[in-house]
Amino acid sequence: MINRISFDRVLKKVEKPARYIGMEKNSIKKDLSKVDIKFAFAFPDVYEVGMSHLGLHILYNLLNNEDYIACERVFAPWIDMEEEMKREGIPLFTLENKEPINNFDFLGFTLQYEMSYTNIINMLDLGNVPIFSKDRKEEDPLVIAGGPCAYNPEPIADFIDFFVIGEGEEVVLEIMKIYREFKLKGYKRDEFLKEVSKIEGVYVPKFYEVYYKEDNTIERMEPEIDGIPRVINKRIIKDIDNSYYPDKIIVPFIETVHDRIPLEIFRGCTRGCRFCQAGMIYRPVREKKVETLLELAEKLVNNTGYADISLTSLSSCDYSQLQFLISKLINKYGEKQIGVSLPSLRLDSFSIDILKEIEKVRKTGLTFAPEAGSQRLRDVINKGVTEKDLETAVTYAFEEGWSTIKLYFMIGLPTETEEDLLGIRDLGYKVKNIFFNFPKDKRKGNLKITLSASCFVPKPFTPFQWVGQNSLEEFNEKINLLRNEIRDRKITFNYHDPKLSYLEAVLARGDRRLSKVIARAWELGCKFDGWSEIFDYNKWMKAFKETGICADFYALRERKYDEVLPWDFINIGVDKSFLYSEYKKATKGIPTKDCREGCNNCGINRSFIGGVC
Amino acid sequence: MNLRIKFTKKGYLKYISHLDTMRLFQRAFRRGNIPIKYSQGFNPQPKMSIANPLALGIESEEEFMDIELLKKISEQEFIEIINNQLPDGIKILDAKYVNDDKSLPSTVRWSYYEINVKTKNMMDKNLLEEKINEWLNKKEIMFERRRYKKGKEIKDVKNIRPLIGNISLVKDNKNINDDAKYIIRIRCLLKSGDNGSLKPTDFLEALDSYLSLNMEIEMADIKRLNIFTEVDGKIQSPM
Repeated sequence: MINRISFDRVLKKVEKPARYIGMEKNSIKKDLSKVDIKFAFAFPDVYEVGMSHLGLHILYNLLNNEDYIACERVFAPWIDMEEEMKREGIPLFTLENKEPINNFDFLGFTLQYEMSYTNIINMLDLGNVPIFSKDRKEEDPLVIAGGPCAYNPEPIADFIDFFVIGEGEEVVLEIMKIYREFKLKGYKRDEFLKEVSKIEGVYVPKFYEVYYKEDNTIERMEPEIDGIPRVINKRIIKDIDNSYYPDKIIVPFIETVHDRIPLEIFRGCTRGCRFCQAGMIYRPVREKKVETLLELAEKLVNNTGYADISLTSLSSCDYSQLQFLISKLINKYGEKQIGVSLPSLRLDSFSIDILKEIEKVRKTGLTFAPEAGSQRLRDVINKGVTEKDLETAVTYAFEEGWSTIKLYFMIGLPTETEEDLLGIRDLGYKVKNIFFNFPKDKRKGNLKITLSASCFVPKPFTPFQWVGQNSLEEFNEKINLLRNEIRDRKITFNYHDPKLSYLEAVLARGDRRLSKVIARAWELGCKFDGWSEIFDYNKWMKAFKETGICADFYALRERKYDEVLPWDFINIGVDKSFLYSEYKKATKGIPTKDCREGCNNCGINRSFIGGVC
Repeated sequence: MNLRIKFTKKGYLKYISHLDTMRLFQRAFRRGNIPIKYSQGFNPQPKMSIANPLALGIESEEEFMDIELLKKISEQEFIEIINNQLPDGIKILDAKYVNDDKSLPSTVRWSYYEINVKTKNMMDKNLLEEKINEWLNKKEIMFERRRYKKGKEIKDVKNIRPLIGNISLVKDNKNINDDAKYIIRIRCLLKSGDNGSLKPTDFLEALDSYLSLNMEIEMADIKRLNIFTEVDGKIQSPM
């Protein structure tokens, strides 16, 4: 345990000290001397962000359900806390027992976004754990990682002892069982790593060698020891309805990003948007039954006291029995002032009916994501919404008294032209006209339209994984065009920093040579790169220069179909040839139908479920 | 049905804010199925009010809160249910139905604090006591308060003497602590609530500018011992 007196001194100095105290309702504090395995669940961002992540709650409770495991949480301390901890000599510790993280058997990082990579290194360093996997000794914790970014694990291959690819609920317990056996019979780090590398979904980077061509692209990747798989299959939970889901989750003291019950209604998505990584890697769609969800909701309401149930998934309006589920929940909890919310709404009429239902309890903000400004470009990205959908949706919203509308777009999408960009402006003005076309006495509130543009980042395992990203100059030109074109008191235009998106593109599609750059960037002081006020582009560029690695090679280069991509050794179940045919269809503006309207032959039903989705 | 409850806020829980505390109670009430009344309107809120917000980092032996219930439940039952739902450090000590027509926060006048603060300098305890009395006997104690409004610093100089009720020095043997710095323990009654209030840290700053002990005010351990209301000129506990 860390020194309590020093800790108290530190808490008095930092902003939001409650980030570091633990003790929340439903947190679990076990006697660490009485368990076989100590597992620190590490989230490489601040408490408020990490506590809003559903995966944390699932795995935390799943692991703590086992008597022989204690799972505790650790988050990245904010800048001020880090300074104070260093001054007092306090190593990074877990919230439950305030135990230094280097006393744990496992440090399990969740990889939710690429821009948190330097935080991983920083957390290891603050916890006195060697940052490079090769430098860790027998007594050091095993540093493992999972989550969406683990689908391309290569950029951080040098820091992580092993990755778990795919959904973690089953595989994590398989790993724990083997570790426990090893601990009882005499644990040797390398022998354990060899053993777990045979588990489906586990990837131990140091057992693989990557060979490169003269042009710096990958020639091949080879397993270096016998008996380990050449291709790593992702793990999926086949029977989602019967899989583990916590019936109580930690209720933070301080306000977090999502202060509500996350009720996961299904995994996967049938829409097939071509820019979306989640839509590909989480296939196939697997729904939970309404009865299961109602049972869980009941327990979660009673155990947390939250006033809001959020029906989470990648596209919640697609749940087959959504209306039934919502009316059940509202009937049951409306009187107790407990509301139901959806994380995202589609622009179709069905969603609007749902909105009417939800609204009975509490009004939520209205955000729509047309993603692109023209129908042509929406067809390219296979985002199946039309201008008519938007019109219907906002007309309804205005009728019902909303006056604040947010529209999300991406700029820099493949094949984008000036006309497509100006479509963003036109949609904004269209929404404005709809509002003012209402007779004066029917208009409610003060109209505010926000058009928000993010810079497109091509991601692995999407049809756009071969695409070169727009350069900073191109992004800036596009942003300036829109800034000049959108001049209206009622319409605000926001945009993301292209530099951040550029680096995100480098890290998302990088190979293991990038580990050097990330380590150097961290040495130069980079951390919290996802926080625009802290992100330091120049330091990153310095790190690339000093390590002799070209960032443009990763972000801007259009790949050929036959190029070996750094993540090709991972099998997500969706064929590479399917992704490529989607890419070709995209460039011709040909949409692909929703999977529920008929199979598009992506491959997931052959490789993973052996039947119909 | 207005239920007045008395509770503590101690240990690490001193690091959660007033709003966090409100939220924590709301959720505890919901978990405990306490039939709380909600306000009408666009965004219904549970009817509850805390007597006097406690600044972040200050502990308390007794805080008060009024909650409106839709139907009566026994005080004892209420205490048992809610204490089961509360974290270590926050604990309900007592609960009583009251028929006050005035809102609880509007009747609060005084807070009684115990402060432990380290100092770089020290003087004889008797002399210290004398100096404190000397300070209190002044007609006016002018203090420059700094506040922040819309990110701008506002300074105003004010006589804080009427905001100080009394001060006593706790004399015990603990005047030297482990890292060889001096420590003094003070109890003081300071104005709180709508009719003027003095923050304990401001009080310390003013006191130290007179005593020149070089106090480590930022690191002081401050605990509220009591809250008092004033009814017809009489100081009394809200419960």
